[in-house]
Amino acid sequence: MRLLNWFHRGNLERGLDRELVYHMDRRVSDLMLSGLTEQDARRQARLELGGLAQVREEVRDVWLTRWMRDFVHDLRFSARSFFHSPSFTVTAVVSLALGIGATTAIYSLVDQVILHALPVRQPDRLVLIDWKGDQAANGFGSWNLMSYPICRDLERQDRFFDGVLCRAATTVNLSIGGEPKATAAEIVSGSYFSVLGVTQAAGRLIDSGDDGTSGANPVVVLSYDFWTTQLASAPDVVGRKVLVNQHPMTVIGVAAPEFRGIDVGEVPALWIPASMSGQAIPGFKNQLDRRTRWMQVLGRLKPDVTPAQAQVGLQPWFKAMLDEDTRRAGFPRITAERRKRFLASTLELTAAPQGHSPLRRRMAQPLWVLFAATGVLLGLACLNVAGLFLARGSAREREISTRLALGASRSRIGRQFLADGILLALTGGLLGVVSAPLAMRTLIAFVPRDAAANALHSTIDSRLLLFAFAVSAASGILSGFVPALQFGRGALISSLRERGGARSGGVVLRKAIVTAQIAFTLILVIGAALFVRTLTGLLAKGPGFATSSLVYFGIDPIRSGYSREEASRLMRRIQDGIRASRSTEASGVARVVLLTGGSWNNPMTIQARERMVTGDINLNAVSPEFFSTLGIGMVAGRGFDERDTRAEGGPNPRVAIVNEAFARRYLGGRSPLGALICEGSGPDAKPNVEIIGVVADFRYRGLREQSEQAYFPILEGTETGGNFYVKVRGTTDAAFQSIRTVIRNADPALPMLYFRTMDEQVNRSLVTERILAALVGGFGTLALLLSLVGLYGVMSFVTTQRTREIGIRLALGATRGSAIWMVLRDALIMIAAGTAIALCCAAALGRLVESQLFGVKPTDPLAMAAATLLLTIATLGAALIPAYRASTVNPVDALRFD
Amino acid sequence: MPPARFPIPQGTLDMLILQILSLEPAHGYGIARRLEQISQAVVQVNQGSLYPALHRLEQKKWLQAEWKQSETGREAKFYSLTSSGRRQLAVERSSWARLAGAVQLIFAEGNE
Repeated sequence: MRLLNWFHRGNLERGLDRELVYHMDRRVSDLMLSGLTEQDARRQARLELGGLAQVREEVRDVWLTRWMRDFVHDLRFSARSFFHSPSFTVTAVVSLALGIGATTAIYSLVDQVILHALPVRQPDRLVLIDWKGDQAANGFGSWNLMSYPICRDLERQDRFFDGVLCRAATTVNLSIGGEPKATAAEIVSGSYFSVLGVTQAAGRLIDSGDDGTSGANPVVVLSYDFWTTQLASAPDVVGRKVLVNQHPMTVIGVAAPEFRGIDVGEVPALWIPASMSGQAIPGFKNQLDRRTRWMQVLGRLKPDVTPAQAQVGLQPWFKAMLDEDTRRAGFPRITAERRKRFLASTLELTAAPQGHSPLRRRMAQPLWVLFAATGVLLGLACLNVAGLFLARGSAREREISTRLALGASRSRIGRQFLADGILLALTGGLLGVVSAPLAMRTLIAFVPRDAAANALHSTIDSRLLLFAFAVSAASGILSGFVPALQFGRGALISSLRERGGARSGGVVLRKAIVTAQIAFTLILVIGAALFVRTLTGLLAKGPGFATSSLVYFGIDPIRSGYSREEASRLMRRIQDGIRASRSTEASGVARVVLLTGGSWNNPMTIQARERMVTGDINLNAVSPEFFSTLGIGMVAGRGFDERDTRAEGGPNPRVAIVNEAFARRYLGGRSPLGALICEGSGPDAKPNVEIIGVVADFRYRGLREQSEQAYFPILEGTETGGNFYVKVRGTTDAAFQSIRTVIRNADPALPMLYFRTMDEQVNRSLVTERILAALVGGFGTLALLLSLVGLYGVMSFVTTQRTREIGIRLALGATRGSAIWMVLRDALIMIAAGTAIALCCAAALGRLVESQLFGVKPTDPLAMAAATLLLTIATLGAALIPAYRASTVNPVDALRFD
Repeated sequence: MPPARFPIPQGTLDMLILQILSLEPAHGYGIARRLEQISQAVVQVNQGSLYPALHRLEQKKWLQAEWKQSETGREAKFYSLTSSGRRQLAVERSSWARLAGAVQLIFAEGNE
């Protein structure tokens, strides 16, 4: 690297000097031997060399190319001049550091959540294989689900694949010697690690030998993070016994440090072979069932196969497999129409270099919105610095004109400005990168711990550094470019001749910059107003029940080895214990937890006057006390009672309660009481559950949704676990204490899945909304400050320039008011232009944020008006100071000025 | 004044330096003298262009330099060929031979 030469140029110079002196001395003595006098010899020798200075210069050009040498010189000059104007430097560097730091922090999240390819061998060859159409199957899990056997079938399609893997995320009760803890795990096929090309840090990884006969290979692989944090990197970890849902299993190895599973939102602590899924998911017996969809399937394409080719190429085989499936024993009896849909199914292959991630689905859009916002902020910071440069440039105008007159080329002067910009931006970038981890930690703190926080990290890696460097360089060029352009063009004579009173050409450009700043700022402020309105709207709306003094927790006794009957008895014991406690008021149980985004949902068949099939209904099973504990009122009919919870005649409920939205939509005004319903939509569905009550609407999955819901009673002896909702008396802390005691008395080894107040859960469910409101609000504030500084700077500059004119006007009888107006008019034009631009842009950008909003439109007039008003007042305030100063000018002083 | 001589053809100085150093390591002045002797005062080498060339070749890692005692007892910077410099010399030599051969051919054809 030639650039390195710059750092030891002292050495190089000394060496060259010695070398040249040696040459000269030898030549001189040789020439003197041939009879010349010393003086003549010296002259002759110098002549032959062509001038020592010239040689030196040429050699220096070899060390560092000419351009680079000059640029280094420029940088040094810039650095010197920055030290002379510290306030300018600090303002500019801090503006850029803010912009670059914020952009880097957000980009790091974008990179981790959206862009980062898995740390596996050739991630670009990975594809997600998904079933398009009706699978005629039951399932559980998140998205893109298929059965285990189809993964094994796909594995044999080796014309297209170098391997196929399947995996499912789950939570197990893991005990590594002490109390069992709920731990994230990944159930994987034997091909998982070899197809991904992940290596081990210790022992060995799960291979196809571990994924044979169901239940025969009780082995697990631990994640590196789990091994280091929970087991203190114990060297004897391989061979240790652990308990997974009370089943003993052997640790056979630890995966490579950088590998954290294929889902950025769910980092597993351990991997379990699919053959052990019956132990990993209590009561699960359908690993080999072709009609149970629960795993994601990913394949590694052969080197010369594209996803599209493979998709087309697989179709004949897939078609034949579907045909064969319908003839298999155990294929469900389905309607002709569904059968047609089943047979028309296709496989869809999509590139999946980043793996599979529901977190990405959820966070991608908000993150892009934030990234766009930081982009605007960074642009603003660059504009600010460009404006500062111009201001400083006009102060330096005479210096520059002198340099031009002395023969500096315009490109040379322009390059000086670029050097200024780049030096500032790199300094700002450095500061930004240093502060970015702090910003990232703050950001990640917004995300609830259980969701994704453990998956995201705030470290700066080389990719991020590269990004920050690119951003800094770009902003340096951008902020240096405008003034460079300006001064590369200006007429030399006029600026040399100029005195304080004349109008400078830079003003138009500076006004344009301030106008752009105002536009950018207004866009951010409007965005902030929209997100704040969304958040406050959702908070004001609430979940439809009183959240204060409501706490909840979940247990999953089936994972601790309980049978369903034992689990029911345990839950009854806990329920009785809580009710007996003095710090609680009421308590109810629900099968599915509220406000976490998840639900149990299915279409239903209603038999009222005629038979009809509904869309997806959100379902839940609840105990009789559930609605009263949450304070949700019955609108019609009755609630559940003890009779309804008895499991007479099988595990199916006999009664149900629907919510108002359900009754409104599907029973249109008629009384739903007495109507018969059931889960499922096929012709074999038998509506035999009677609607006995209608409950007031409340939010089930999240605060945004308004859904049709139906509730069944929890039946004795059928539940595997549940979520307890407890109304507390007094402080929640005291209640937490006594609830914990109740559970410890019931089973000291039983882990609680979560334990928090309902208010906290409401806040958690609004994570994205809070992040957007807080960050865009913060960016808006920063932007406002930046553009106020910009506007103030330009206005003071203009006013100073016009002091003489204003003085004359005042002397000729103009009033102070008219002097103020004269300056303000300028500012108003800029503000109006900026506002107009911003409003147009905001309308166009609205689509980007629309899906993140609730209760407001992207063009919400109130938000726009409020933002515009705020901006106008603030900017006018900034303009008023120089305007007022102008009006107090003493005409005599002004005329004497210059 | 020195007699009229041909200026050294562009790009051949590097090759000549490599060739001289392939015989034995030498310092800048030594190379200048060798150049003068070998070219028998036919080719004019501007001594000023020697040092930039040496530094350029050193930068390209075709030469390495070391300070050693010279024949007069003073320390001088001695340049010697590196193995990649040796390879480069072979390349330049063969391409020069090809060029010279081609020029020769063109002249020969013109004379017939």
